[in-house]
Amino acid sequence: MSEQSALEKFQTLPAAVREKVETAISDAKIELKLRVGLMLADQKETAEHKVTTAGRVGAKSGEVSELTVIMPLKSDGAARLRKFFKVIDGNLAGAGQVGTLHNMRFVFLENDTKLLFATAYDGEWDPYIDDFATKIPEFMDYLFRNVEGWPGIASPDVKDFIVKYQIPAEAWFVSHPNLTVAEANRLKRQDETVQSFLADLN
Amino acid sequence: MDLFRRIRRKPTLELEDIQATVLRARPEPYFGTHAILEITDPAAGKELLRRLAPRVTSAARWDEPQPSWMALAVTYQGLVALGVPESSLSSFPANFRAGMAARAERLRDTGPNAPEHWEFPFGTARVHVAVTVFAENEADWQSEVAAYERELREVPGVNLLSHQDFGADGFNVFGYRDGFSQPVVEGSGAEPLPGDGRPIKAGEFVLGYPSETGSPLATPAPDVLGRNGTYVVFRKYHSHVDAFNRYLHDNGRTKAERELLAAKLVGRWRSGAPLALAPDRDDAALGADPKRINDFDYADDPRGLHTPLGSHIRRMNPRDTKLEVLTDVNIRRIIRRSTSYGEPLPADALTDDGRPRGLDFIALGARAIDNVEFLQSEWVNSGNFVGLGKEKDPMISLQDKKGAYFTVPGSPPRRIQNIQSFNTLLGGEYFFMPGLSAIDWLSR
Repeated sequence: MSEQSALEKFQTLPAAVREKVETAISDAKIELKLRVGLMLADQKETAEHKVTTAGRVGAKSGEVSELTVIMPLKSDGAARLRKFFKVIDGNLAGAGQVGTLHNMRFVFLENDTKLLFATAYDGEWDPYIDDFATKIPEFMDYLFRNVEGWPGIASPDVKDFIVKYQIPAEAWFVSHPNLTVAEANRLKRQDETVQSFLADLN
Repeated sequence: MDLFRRIRRKPTLELEDIQATVLRARPEPYFGTHAILEITDPAAGKELLRRLAPRVTSAARWDEPQPSWMALAVTYQGLVALGVPESSLSSFPANFRAGMAARAERLRDTGPNAPEHWEFPFGTARVHVAVTVFAENEADWQSEVAAYERELREVPGVNLLSHQDFGADGFNVFGYRDGFSQPVVEGSGAEPLPGDGRPIKAGEFVLGYPSETGSPLATPAPDVLGRNGTYVVFRKYHSHVDAFNRYLHDNGRTKAERELLAAKLVGRWRSGAPLALAPDRDDAALGADPKRINDFDYADDPRGLHTPLGSHIRRMNPRDTKLEVLTDVNIRRIIRRSTSYGEPLPADALTDDGRPRGLDFIALGARAIDNVEFLQSEWVNSGNFVGLGKEKDPMISLQDKKGAYFTVPGSPPRRIQNIQSFNTLLGGEYFFMPGLSAIDWLSR
């Protein structure tokens, strides 16, 4: 699209949208202004991806929330965690049983002195911490005891401890904000049924 | 129905220091009063506690019938009004300190259930002390209430903000038997009845004892204040029985069809007989038998063909249902002491008579506040935990104005549209129910 036609198209957007764009990103090229303007003008799309809060801290889009923590590691923490991740080839398949985790990652930062843990999960983060404390306490404590000051998953202070290190995302996008892990599992089961029905039919 | 279990083992809990209501079952029929008081100066508050302390019944011999008993509980604002030191105040959990109204978002108390619509005095900082009288007959109820009111009159500086009577014969205003499913508290000495499941660690219900984690849950300081106490969640609902009846009539042509749908919504027939044991028709004898009424699980009903996955009792106590989300159902149990008020509306009444009727939902437990917040967001106002997406609890959720439905599993499943909220929240509070020595400590 030429600069001229981008400008013409930009002029067709609602005045409020144009003003918002011009105020916030006046230094951007008109092509970007047009893209941002079009996005803001698409109310259905923006409503579906509306970013709300995941309880105490963190962003949420639809049903899916984000959690990022950067925690200080004990001196041998990274080495111990690496050993563990190596045994399982970095494969955390068992985490599927939690039922709310879309993904998670463990990254060592700053010369193995810090752990970045980031995850996308369904709902708000604290309702199920208590369940971790009685259902999978060994696993939680095995991983996080390598963190300096970890109070233990069963400690009443554990939620405050996590919040202390949590850094909320400033922007958050989820392609299917209303598709929880449970809903995705249900759709997969439905699709399998439909596929085998089609296979049998022919 | 005789709701009293027997003490069959030697209790290991300090029953004489724990309030009766924690373990004592509601009789049938029952009569009673919930009163809410405001303390205007600490000395008056302490004087009130000193006077009421001898009337607060302990859980000793909780299995023996008693004509009446009294319970007492305090809000965070009440502790402040009593002049409890900051070191104690700050040892209480954050959601208790904030109070129920401040937790509205977490509790999904929005729209018509939002605190701005609540009845006075709920949600105000003036709610300090709750006094509840339970009785098994009218005369003992009146004399117990009169006795507490005599003490109240003697203490200027304490105001009565609300007085609500309740009472029923064991059936709620929708016509269902209720209040009979309770967790077995380890150390209480209670005999487990068939289907109760294993006893749950005492620390889940009474502060100061080991919980399901193996250690006691966080207990307020000092120990004398926290020990043998518990938390109480009180939520007063107005029931729209007419709307419930209309929903049944809109979706059932005959009485039999309507009663089956009524059972599918709850998971039990109105008699209390569970669909799990009586899938096709009501069985009144089963509903009246405490040894059989809970003697079931869902092992042979994974799809909910008998008891729908979204039915009220399967949501509130999923038993062995395979859940989509890692959950420990043993830490989500609550002791239920709910009370009904107002006259039931018969099943054929399709218009509102404008009279007050409903349920005071009352949950007790060391995690009661966390658990009601959990239940409201995860098990009541969502269906995700059992793979039902956005479908909500048919009885106590806040339904969306448009597009809400209830699914009766089957081949094919039946999706019944336009379900409404059958209960509206009129208000509620978080309380701490201190042990008897803690009441003494608070009064000094």
